[in-house]
Amino acid sequence: MKTFMSLITGLALTGFMAGNALADAAAGKAAFEANKCAECHYTQGPAQEKTIDDVWAKKGPELWYAGSKFNADWLGAWLADPKPIRLLAFNSLSDPNPGDHPKLAAGDAVSVKDFLMSLTAAEVEAGSVKAKKNPKGKLIFTKKMPCSGCHQYPDKSGNRGGKSGPSLVEAGLRLNPDWILAYLQHPAVFKPVKDMPNFVGILSDKDMINVSRHIASFKP
Amino acid sequence: MNRTMKSIIFATTLVIAVMAGAVPSVAEDVEKVFKFYCAQCHGESGDGKGINVTEDFPVTPRAFNNAAEMNKLTDADLRNVIHEGGPIASKSEMMPPWGKTLSDEDIDNLVIKLRALCQCKGKQG
Repeated sequence: MKTFMSLITGLALTGFMAGNALADAAAGKAAFEANKCAECHYTQGPAQEKTIDDVWAKKGPELWYAGSKFNADWLGAWLADPKPIRLLAFNSLSDPNPGDHPKLAAGDAVSVKDFLMSLTAAEVEAGSVKAKKNPKGKLIFTKKMPCSGCHQYPDKSGNRGGKSGPSLVEAGLRLNPDWILAYLQHPAVFKPVKDMPNFVGILSDKDMINVSRHIASFKP
Repeated sequence: MNRTMKSIIFATTLVIAVMAGAVPSVAEDVEKVFKFYCAQCHGESGDGKGINVTEDFPVTPRAFNNAAEMNKLTDADLRNVIHEGGPIASKSEMMPPWGKTLSDEDIDNLVIKLRALCQCKGKQG
């Protein structure tokens, strides 16, 4: 009987928590709309871009897989106090990032984070990548397929690398390692049109895991 | 095999190819392609001074307006380097392979664009 009661309590608790999560996500969606986030970010997948013009027409990154991409703690903190992730303004190759992303009130930041974390992509397999320094991944990142040419990254001598891609200096705090791998493996799903090469058929799955581990190890 | 069956097989193959991250089959306007993919390193005018060329960048990207340098390469060299990356022609690894990203038509159009920038015909293969 005791076991049975424990089971019932456990199920009730799980149901309660799931219900709360749904309620949080619904409140977050309302806050997302009230703060006009949808003017720059779309949250309904699949990817909508089919041409370069479609990409250039965007004002901000798509967020339909945000819950698979970001670490929740980082996302909540960033929404309340956003700092530039890109060195350049979105879709610009010359203008510096003005750092003018709207700052959400503390309560809204939590709600919107809950909403965004509810948006996930089936292609992201939990537990497939562990953040860890990886010499093979480092070699790919800096030389073999030079990600460093376009992405800033942390180095012993300070931040280094290119400017056209999003900075990866805090990638270990910001990104879900499993998403980094899925992004490399399924470019057509996440960004069918992007100014970064597709590496499917060029890098093996093993090498994609290596480079994902390396990127996920980046911390300032 | 009837026509409907062929259409179904073609459509299914296309969907699978797109889902697998295959090359887009529709060519884009070459000016847009150049600005979107090439300008970040080679500069919007093709002078080799793109925004990524910081002091950390280990090589100087090809200046497409340098006829003397561009004349050392055949059109096939240009096509191969775009498709496979710099190492295929003993050039820098900083030039990544775009063959899984751009269509063959996009790459052919880029070769024509590069020849217009250098105003040269290149080494004859």
